[in-house]
Amino acid sequence: MSETVTTVSDVEFGAEIPTFAPDTSLENVKRFGKFVGWGGPRFTDHEAARKEGFPGALVPGVMSQGFLGAMIHRWAPSAEIVAIDTVFRAPVLVDEPHQIVGVVTDVDEEAGSVEIDITITNEAEETRVFGTATVKLPTG
Amino acid sequence: METDIEELRSGFLNEEFDEVTFEIDGERSAEYALSCGEKAPRYTDPAHADFQAPPTFVSTLVGGRSLPADFPRLGGVGMDAGKGVEWMAPIRAGVTLTGKSHLHDIYTKTGRSGRMIFLVTRMELFDEEGVHVANADTRTVIRERPSE
Repeated sequence: MSETVTTVSDVEFGAEIPTFAPDTSLENVKRFGKFVGWGGPRFTDHEAARKEGFPGALVPGVMSQGFLGAMIHRWAPSAEIVAIDTVFRAPVLVDEPHQIVGVVTDVDEEAGSVEIDITITNEAEETRVFGTATVKLPTG
Repeated sequence: METDIEELRSGFLNEEFDEVTFEIDGERSAEYALSCGEKAPRYTDPAHADFQAPPTFVSTLVGGRSLPADFPRLGGVGMDAGKGVEWMAPIRAGVTLTGKSHLHDIYTKTGRSGRMIFLVTRMELFDEEGVHVANADTRTVIRERPSE
């Protein structure tokens, strides 16, 4: 399968979505905090987060959810995400490399609907966030 | 003593307890998209003809009151266990949305460390014409303290 898809007929059941490495840098999280919110010390200051008992600054959960949405749109630019459910299992730490993998778990060609399971893992391959999404794609 | 979940469900589910309004700021939604790694101009470029907020953006609107004022204290510390979004229609810059919140679900899971109570708060979002454009769910988990 190609790196991107345009219509639902381009999507194969069981296909892996191209891996996405989200930008978890402190600079990017501070930018998120400045413009969007979640700019508190536990998200933007490693030392302050450690004082709260965390291993380091945390990527806000709403930002992790946004990473999942971005991954889907990078793979399927015309996709409309009609539902996405995200489970925060463990913290995504700022300045630590993570990767997001996804797999197609269902395809309904008639409805133009695709189900996807998505997981954010850290360098130790530990699951931090996982989610499921339903996306609509053109049927043409 | 364990919290009576059925009593909580019958007393609090599906009762609206909060209403707030938001004006959607295009710069804020574009910055959200860019910092999350979006590439599609319809999400990142306010000048694009189809510019709109990414569907997951509505999760950033949640953050006010998450439980009814008279909801009982359950003893443990609440943690954000997840977010869910249902998207029905594009959300454009400049539109004013009304968010109406209710408790959508209450359930438990039991693990090795005891019982955990999950509270799902749903904010239903409507545009100025009353069109239901999205739901934003927040799942809070509370680890129940063991009985003494």
